[in-house]
Amino acid sequence: MGNVLEVKDLVKRYGKLLVLDRWNLKVSKGERIVLLGPSGCGKTTFLKIIAGLEGYDEGELHMNFKSLGFVFQEPRLIPWRTVKKNLSFVSDDESKIKEVLKMVKLEGFENHLPSQLSGGMRQRVNLARALLNDPDLLILDEPFSSLDLPVKLKIMDDIVELWKESNFTLLMVTHDVKEAVYMGDRILVLSERPSRIMEEITLEEITLTFHGDRILDERFLKVEAQIIKILSSF
Amino acid sequence: MKTIVGLLLLLLVWEISALLLGSSFILPTPIETFKALIHELTKIETFHAFLSTAWKGFFVLGLVVLLGTLIGLVMGINTAIYEILRPVVMIVQAVPVISWLALVIFLWGIGWKGPVLISFLSLLPISIFTTAAGVRSIDKDLLEMVKVYKVPKRKVFKDIYLGSIVPFVVATIDISIGNVWKVILVSEFLCGDEGLGVLISWARQYVDVPRVYALTIIAVTFGIISERLTRRFVRRLTRKWGMS
Repeated sequence: MGNVLEVKDLVKRYGKLLVLDRWNLKVSKGERIVLLGPSGCGKTTFLKIIAGLEGYDEGELHMNFKSLGFVFQEPRLIPWRTVKKNLSFVSDDESKIKEVLKMVKLEGFENHLPSQLSGGMRQRVNLARALLNDPDLLILDEPFSSLDLPVKLKIMDDIVELWKESNFTLLMVTHDVKEAVYMGDRILVLSERPSRIMEEITLEEITLTFHGDRILDERFLKVEAQIIKILSSF
Repeated sequence: MKTIVGLLLLLLVWEISALLLGSSFILPTPIETFKALIHELTKIETFHAFLSTAWKGFFVLGLVVLLGTLIGLVMGINTAIYEILRPVVMIVQAVPVISWLALVIFLWGIGWKGPVLISFLSLLPISIFTTAAGVRSIDKDLLEMVKVYKVPKRKVFKDIYLGSIVPFVVATIDISIGNVWKVILVSEFLCGDEGLGVLISWARQYVDVPRVYALTIIAVTFGIISERLTRRFVRRLTRKWGMS
């Protein structure tokens, strides 16, 4: 499988402040990678570099994908535009808009304004917008941080389902260990700023054979405990 | 009901004050004023003056909103243009009406152009600065989203920039409609050839104080009605825009 992303000794500074300290990373097509690290360690900065919103100072970044979907931390919807118009802002393909609304279970809410939706529904619109261009790489920037647990679990399940149906690569950042274990089949644990990739934990074998609710599964709880141990050792 | 009580209270205070002062040259009684008001309302001259003031007011309002929004939009989008034009607009804002008066009288003499220009220049800076502030306060997160999805500029302008300034244009209309009649009347008073301001000026010259008050009541009533109607119209428009 080809690499969607390849990062070699990537360095990012804001003035004198070193944020990313020699990151090395390879992401294969179809993987579900989670970058897990404390707040302020540069996770979002890394995503912004991939999305072309920020530059980097040293190292190499090779990207091999045609289209990118970005699920932001906050929904970033146009408040005075309906759900449908928020989506048509990104793509004029009417049938695709219908399709993604169905995918994120928001049929019937096309003409609602963002203010008329719950937090979870707004985040689903955010996800729908990211899926509009059939992304090869779907980036999720702490997308569940403002959601309550039942909504969070539901959306996480839906994203994993979408990932199974589609063929995109998923790259998510979070500071929440449970989210990381729930969503990833490979977790990269980051140190505090200046951040480095400290550990790599692979759950692929478990996730491939797994059916049911991850949050209560013993194997995942073990991984969770392992990560907590790593994080507390920094 | 409360409004009627308020108006009755005002009339009572007015009547008592007029009786205490005892001079209709300073403060005529409400009855004297209402007699003058009825007399004014039956005159075709008042009707013509009213129409003259009204068209000037709405013309200035339209011009202020249109040009103010356009200039404000450009200033809001482009920081360099904002920095260049800001001092100019600030100076225009600070120039007293009386200074514009000298300029317009030398330019055009007495007529409709003077009141229109003076009112326009008095209200334009508010419109420009309000719109520019609106554009400059556009959610940066939305602009970042636009970059990620490489949305065409035409769409960004229409859906983000224009959408963002709608509340500020509404605010401009709200502020301007409240002030436009006052500015128009003052400038008509100073350099107009027709309009309610001119009639007030004549009434003052003939020391016809009840008439001054009567004309003021006409102007105030018209101001309040037009303000309410305009606000209702603007609200309906913004509802269509999907803002409320």
